[in-house]
Amino acid sequence: MQYLKWSVKFFKFGYYILTVPTLAYWALKLARPLYVEKETFLNRLVRWSFLVIGGGTLPPEDLGAFRYGLKAFYDNIENASKAAETGRPVVWVEWVLSSEIINAFDAVPFLPEMVGVFGNMSGQAVPSLVVEEAESLGFAPENCSAIKITAGSFSLKQIPSPKLIVAGSHPCDSSVAAYQGIAHLTGAPVFYFDAPYWRNEDAFDYYEKNMWRLIDFLEKNLHRKMDWDKLKQVVENENRFNFYMQEICEMMRAIPSPASMATPIFAWMVREVCIGDANATEMARRMYEAVKNRYKKGIGIVKKEKLRVLWWNPTIAFLVHIFKWMEDEFGAVVVKDFIADVRMPQVDTSSQKTMIHDMARNHLYLAMARQCHGPVEFILSELGQTIEEYAPDCLIFTGHAGCKHGWGVIGIIKDYLKKRGMPSLFMNLDLFDQRHATEDDIKRWITEFFRSNGFV
Amino acid sequence: MKNILDETRMLASSTCNHYLEEAKKQGRKIIGYFCSYMPEEMIHAAGMIPYRMRAVENDGTKRADAYYSSINCTFVRLCFNKALAGDFEFLDGVVFVNGCDHSRRMYDNWRYAGIAPSFLHMFFSPHTVNATALDYFALECSKLKSSVEKHFQVSITDEALQNSITLYNQKRRLLGDIYSMRKNKNVPIKASEMLSVMLAVTAVPVEKAIEILTEVKQFLSGRVVSRPEDLRLFIAGGCIEEREHLELIEDCGAVIVADNICLGMRHFFDEAQSAGNGLRDIAERYLYHLSCPRMMGDFERRFQYLLDIKDEYGIDGVIIEKLKFCDIWGGEIYLYRQETKKHHLPLLALERELYGGGAGQIKTRVQAFLEKLKNRQATDEGLVRAAGSNYKVK
Repeated sequence: MQYLKWSVKFFKFGYYILTVPTLAYWALKLARPLYVEKETFLNRLVRWSFLVIGGGTLPPEDLGAFRYGLKAFYDNIENASKAAETGRPVVWVEWVLSSEIINAFDAVPFLPEMVGVFGNMSGQAVPSLVVEEAESLGFAPENCSAIKITAGSFSLKQIPSPKLIVAGSHPCDSSVAAYQGIAHLTGAPVFYFDAPYWRNEDAFDYYEKNMWRLIDFLEKNLHRKMDWDKLKQVVENENRFNFYMQEICEMMRAIPSPASMATPIFAWMVREVCIGDANATEMARRMYEAVKNRYKKGIGIVKKEKLRVLWWNPTIAFLVHIFKWMEDEFGAVVVKDFIADVRMPQVDTSSQKTMIHDMARNHLYLAMARQCHGPVEFILSELGQTIEEYAPDCLIFTGHAGCKHGWGVIGIIKDYLKKRGMPSLFMNLDLFDQRHATEDDIKRWITEFFRSNGFV
Repeated sequence: MKNILDETRMLASSTCNHYLEEAKKQGRKIIGYFCSYMPEEMIHAAGMIPYRMRAVENDGTKRADAYYSSINCTFVRLCFNKALAGDFEFLDGVVFVNGCDHSRRMYDNWRYAGIAPSFLHMFFSPHTVNATALDYFALECSKLKSSVEKHFQVSITDEALQNSITLYNQKRRLLGDIYSMRKNKNVPIKASEMLSVMLAVTAVPVEKAIEILTEVKQFLSGRVVSRPEDLRLFIAGGCIEEREHLELIEDCGAVIVADNICLGMRHFFDEAQSAGNGLRDIAERYLYHLSCPRMMGDFERRFQYLLDIKDEYGIDGVIIEKLKFCDIWGGEIYLYRQETKKHHLPLLALERELYGGGAGQIKTRVQAFLEKLKNRQATDEGLVRAAGSNYKVK
């Protein structure tokens, strides 16, 4: 687990150094010339991480909030790594699902796609190497690289082995196909969530029944009962987390935007790894306080906001810092994205039934599930609403090679944006594997797009 | 003189046919559908004709490429291109299924393009096989029933459903009988011919399909198309509708005797129960039938089917294939590679485009595979001779 071990070291270092966020801010700022331009042999182990936390351009108060996210990260990875010693079973939870129920079984939920993001901390080439490993095992090249990274990471022993796996039928065929392969590869029993196509009461009920089946599956395979009080605690933490993040997303409608997309994206990653963790919620609260403070004063995250950008499809994992780069280079602020935007309904924790009932709805409103499990109207309505509410000047579409369902309606999306008069950049790339398009390619495309539209 | 296989060949090579035209004249509606998870009985019980969508007689993907991207599969792009060109104008409705990401998006594109027909229905099929999924499948069946009844102002009665189940079971039984003939040493029908039969019987009224199949069954009696030296193959895959593709494989020195393809076993394996529970009987048959890899956690059952028939059909090797950009069959190929190795079953995995040419490349790969199989047989026989009665299979 060399990659995640290095990540844990860095998270710990970050956690302690961010005790004094102003100091960290200046250290990152002064050292910028050493890492900002490009990845080299010398900065390979720190560049991506430094840039993700703003590279000296995110205000200290935001950095202070990130600190709690770092703690939540390393707690999770350490718990998973030490599972054999502590006797707590590791349960993999696929990245588009949510892990509250696993916590309530005193098991360690683990995000198996983690190396796709944190692998970059050891160099941006790492996720590609892991993808190659999966492909050499026989995983289909067209499968989403996120899931191939799971297979590759397991094969390379970069992630802890699962006792159980929780996977799902959404958002795409890759989940359906590759997780059957992963089940074979790991030998672990898998619970498959089946996402409905529609978003109505029947569909929600069906998903809720899936959740009850998951509880049965876990009870049977972990030989223990669910701790409902623990679930209540986790869900209450999650409710607060969602409230703060939803407020941040709402505040980003203001002109100028009081937050950089770097903030919700970081929080999204925390949600993926350890939703319901007290540190995760504390991070969200601090983020909220920092953004709200700027919002009240009418201060933007960049001094002069020149351009408001809508980002559609998930963030490019090896290039999460693209948001800060766009802010620094062009004064272009991504005010809304596809994956960090929180729209989940709150969960009523008054009874066991209400919790499961509401969590089923909540999970179908998670990013990816929300837009992808049904008809194109799920995409268009969100796009339309965003264009109305966030006053974007343009849209950037990250066309991930694995998202065939998105590519399947690309004509409709293009046409819709054209009718709305929204200048749009459509990029062909892979979100986790820079062999398709590199950092330089992507920066060049964005620059040319801004220039050709007269934005800069 | 033309025989019944010539007729099925003719029916298979055209989008529409005179049986459908005749039925239209009599006022019967025709409903197109995608995927083996769409219950045909529901359409038939409404007095209509279910028609399996196909890409035959296509002229490329030019029009569809304005909607889809180049990383979407050729089957959906070719079909949608035909729809845009008006080739499916004879249809009165289309039922889409969330079979895969590519095909489920056709429901969106079709609506957005605003092309005929006006009845477009998305039928959700669960991705898991269990009691909860069965309840939901039955619910989807009832939604399809209401939708058809409302749009076409018809009534689907329990009696009509029962009658449809009986007819479709009869069709399944006949197909099963014909497939069983391929167990014989002397195979009476090639897979390429069988594919034509399948394409034909999914494009005509079921009553006619039964007549055709009865005739095919009689015609095949005593017929032999295989050569003694032919290797016997199993083929698995999604959408295969080019007869020439299977001919190419068989012309290399093989005969395909069994399959798990959309227009194969998956279409007719397992009958619907006639327990009088109407929609639930139908739901049960379609959810639990020989599965496609879109069904999660059901690989063991799928593969067990191959193992079960391996000896019965005398299968020498397995070909699995996928269309480019198909995640689902891409995943299945991985699993097949692992399991066939474990069970010492020779496997060839192919990737291709539907109507995409590349025959030379495929031929080379198939020839090499068959050669490998023959060498294996030759070696084994040689070992037998050398070892005499002490020979033991490894």
